[in-house]
Amino acid sequence: MNKIVLATSLCIAIAALGGCTNKSVVRYGDATAVETTDINFGSTDLQKVASQMTDSLLLSPVVGTLTANTRPIIFVESIKNKTSEHIDTESITDSISTKLLRSGKFRFVDMGRVAAVREQLEFQQSSGMVDASKAIAFGQQVGAQYMLYGNLASIVKSNKDKSDVYYKFTMRLMDLKSGLVEWADETEIRKTKEKEFVSW
Amino acid sequence: MNHKSRTILALIVGTFLLSACQNIAPVTSGVGSNQIAPEQAFSEHLHIDNKQLASKLYISDIKSRTNNGLLEVNAILTSTYKKSLQLQYQFQWFDQDGFAIEVGKSPWKALELHGMQTATATGLAPSNKASTFSIYVREVPEKFFKF
Repeated sequence: MNKIVLATSLCIAIAALGGCTNKSVVRYGDATAVETTDINFGSTDLQKVASQMTDSLLLSPVVGTLTANTRPIIFVESIKNKTSEHIDTESITDSISTKLLRSGKFRFVDMGRVAAVREQLEFQQSSGMVDASKAIAFGQQVGAQYMLYGNLASIVKSNKDKSDVYYKFTMRLMDLKSGLVEWADETEIRKTKEKEFVSW
Repeated sequence: MNHKSRTILALIVGTFLLSACQNIAPVTSGVGSNQIAPEQAFSEHLHIDNKQLASKLYISDIKSRTNNGLLEVNAILTSTYKKSLQLQYQFQWFDQDGFAIEVGKSPWKALELHGMQTATATGLAPSNKASTFSIYVREVPEKFFKF
């Protein structure tokens, strides 16, 4: 009888543990959901930073005055990454400039595409393939009035049980004519990773 | 150990192991509101999809105003739970015809609400077309497996 009981237990155990095999499953997820895969800078951090900076800029009384009767022209300088991680800061500036542009309150010039624009205008002017009366001439573009720039810094601390990372993202809007900083704000993110006891 | 004890032990071990490695779908329901216009009373538009979360958290106030031409909303979240809650909230924006604006682009924002704490969830409409809004709050689903 003892053997039967033991054998039954073993069978149940094997059957139950058999359910624990790994299998890969592919799913589409919510791109806007909170992501906590690891402690590094992730999509949720990017979305939070872009959202908070855009909201702060759009709610600023100074910006309210600037955008009351006109849509100021902005150029976005790259965000300086002062963290120890590799972070695509262009993606942050892309999100912020897209949100600001879609708000209908600002216009942007894209300095990242100057070479491509020059090439296209040179083609229109000198290739002989474009109707000269309709070719776009050099020297007609509008310059930016304001510059948006910022820094992303981090402080990382860890011990054997816990890791802590603190991000600070700072942005400023400068009037290119006067050199005055018209708006500035910063947002912070704290992420921690610690061991948790597995509970049944 | 007698025969009866061994049988019971075997049953316990079997049951224990059968409960192992369940792949459980995370609970993603929460508490929220239907579309609210700035002039409407928020309390009539709240709904509860997750009673467990509603026993620990409630939306105590929602204020809205137009700032720089954009609809700005503050929702006050109050915890009635002694431990911290890992929450995420999302605003949705609608134009005057009830059509959603910038669908799928409003991110879920993470919010840690400490025991019995009150915090403000803030939202700003992405464009001046927004005339009504809704909010939804849920817990961050973290554990997909249990043993």
